[in-house]
Amino acid sequence: MNFSLYKQMMKVNIKGMFNYAIGAAFYMILMVWVYPSIAKTAKPLNDMLKVMPAGMTRAFNMQSGFGSFETYISGEFYGLLFTLIVSIFCVMIPIQLIAKLVDQGSMAYLLTTPTTRGKVAFTQASVFLSGLILISAITTVCGIIGVHIFIDDSSSFHVNRFIQLNVAAFALFFALGGISFLISSLSNDEKKALGISGGIIFGFYSLDIIGKISEKVDWIKHFTIFTLYSPSEIVVGKADLTNDCAILFFIGIVAFVVSILAFRKRDLPL
Amino acid sequence: MLEVQNLTKKFKSGKGIFNITFSIKRGEVFGFLGPNGAGKSTTIRHIMGFMKPDTGYVKINELDTWKKQGEVKKYIGYLPGEIAFIEGMTGKSFLDFMTEMQGVKDLSKRNELIERLQFDVNTPIRKMSKGMKQKVGIVAAFMHDPEVIILDEPTSGLDPLMQKVFIEMVLEEKAKGKTFLMSSHSFPEIERTCDRAAIIKDGVVIAVKDIHELQSMQRKLFEVIFKNSSDANKFIHSNLQIESHEGNRVRVAIQGNYDQFIEETGKYPVQNIAIYTQSLEEVFMNYYDRSEASR
Repeated sequence: MNFSLYKQMMKVNIKGMFNYAIGAAFYMILMVWVYPSIAKTAKPLNDMLKVMPAGMTRAFNMQSGFGSFETYISGEFYGLLFTLIVSIFCVMIPIQLIAKLVDQGSMAYLLTTPTTRGKVAFTQASVFLSGLILISAITTVCGIIGVHIFIDDSSSFHVNRFIQLNVAAFALFFALGGISFLISSLSNDEKKALGISGGIIFGFYSLDIIGKISEKVDWIKHFTIFTLYSPSEIVVGKADLTNDCAILFFIGIVAFVVSILAFRKRDLPL
Repeated sequence: MLEVQNLTKKFKSGKGIFNITFSIKRGEVFGFLGPNGAGKSTTIRHIMGFMKPDTGYVKINELDTWKKQGEVKKYIGYLPGEIAFIEGMTGKSFLDFMTEMQGVKDLSKRNELIERLQFDVNTPIRKMSKGMKQKVGIVAAFMHDPEVIILDEPTSGLDPLMQKVFIEMVLEEKAKGKTFLMSSHSFPEIERTCDRAAIIKDGVVIAVKDIHELQSMQRKLFEVIFKNSSDANKFIHSNLQIESHEGNRVRVAIQGNYDQFIEETGKYPVQNIAIYTQSLEEVFMNYYDRSEASR
């Protein structure tokens, strides 16, 4: 870890990170704010969900219905929008932290100083992780505060389940970010890296949706890590949270370690 | 001080560098010359430890630049051929960042360099001209007082006045015992600073020469305008190598044989003499042609 580099990189990226964090938090608060009016119509909405094809509701993580705040927020926010916003973050930032600097050539300056490539890569990974923690923390805190402000009967709110939901999301993004970081540290071309990383991550996402829509291609879910993240099951306590998160964290750690090792041994076109 | 031994790196395209060997003594300024695509940058990338050699090694201060990447950088100052800075910084914030990364406490050298190169450090880098960026790069390469300074085309983008200042700076550092490796296209710059130079072509070092030897290889073109065109007619029948002749105007190529040239032109009244110095590129071309012809 190189602290000067960490400081500098945070300075360069903090604005972008806050944009994601504020975007996610703002949307979260909006969702909480409209919940009371949705809750009133929960029954007709649930009835509507029942007549919709089961694959459809599963694909968008809405099978738990609108019965409680957690099921509502897991489907509407954690199952769709939050996943998309932070997945974009997980594609973009790791690419900017390594591949972009290599492509532009400014990596040369970092490696001109008495630091090692291993340290540079580790520091850049820490910058990404700091951003992810920032986004997760702000979203979680805003969610909890929002519930207490906008929902009259906040006693029915399960803080534990809500935090589990956020931990599971964090584990997923940690793994996705690791994959993107690995591609970033192997690439000389920023655009190409962005394409590959985006392709893989949104490919995973699409496979997840396809697998859920049709039971016939159910087997597809074994090929995407999004299967390990099931917000609608977490909120009703049906998910194997420890196991899923452990696998996701494991994938992430392996990806980051391999990235750092690969970056140390690689020829750089600087 | 800097030793390049049997350095080979072959790329998939079949190009690369092959068996590059040379060494630079402490306090020596070494020129690295060759046309574009000859392998200069690839060699410098190996010296900087950005690439892993297939065979051979580069050592600076007895440290392998690939294996001891971090440690060896304490002794190196580097100016890249194409400078790219981190986005969103001003000259000052970039230099502050580099100072911190290099672990330098004493800012006097840096301030002196900025003073000398005369530029405004507070300008955002994206608004800087090429020459100004080059100055920031030069400051970053010199400010931590490194023992070895590697410069990839250092004066590109600098105006003639600043080129002169730069050459003075190199000579001063040289006098303090600093070692330089400098790739360049500008012959005057190499002439005034370097002790020796390596010529590289197609990934192979074809000669490591003393700079005086290189100078004598340099062919110069003189254009002589005689008062009478009849004199010009007589002049072209001397032993000199005549490039062109038109009326009373003669172009003659001289390579070391200045005495003969003076003697021949002295026989006739002369109206004007103008000189065309060959570029370094042309000197190489001559050199290649000759070394290929002698094979």
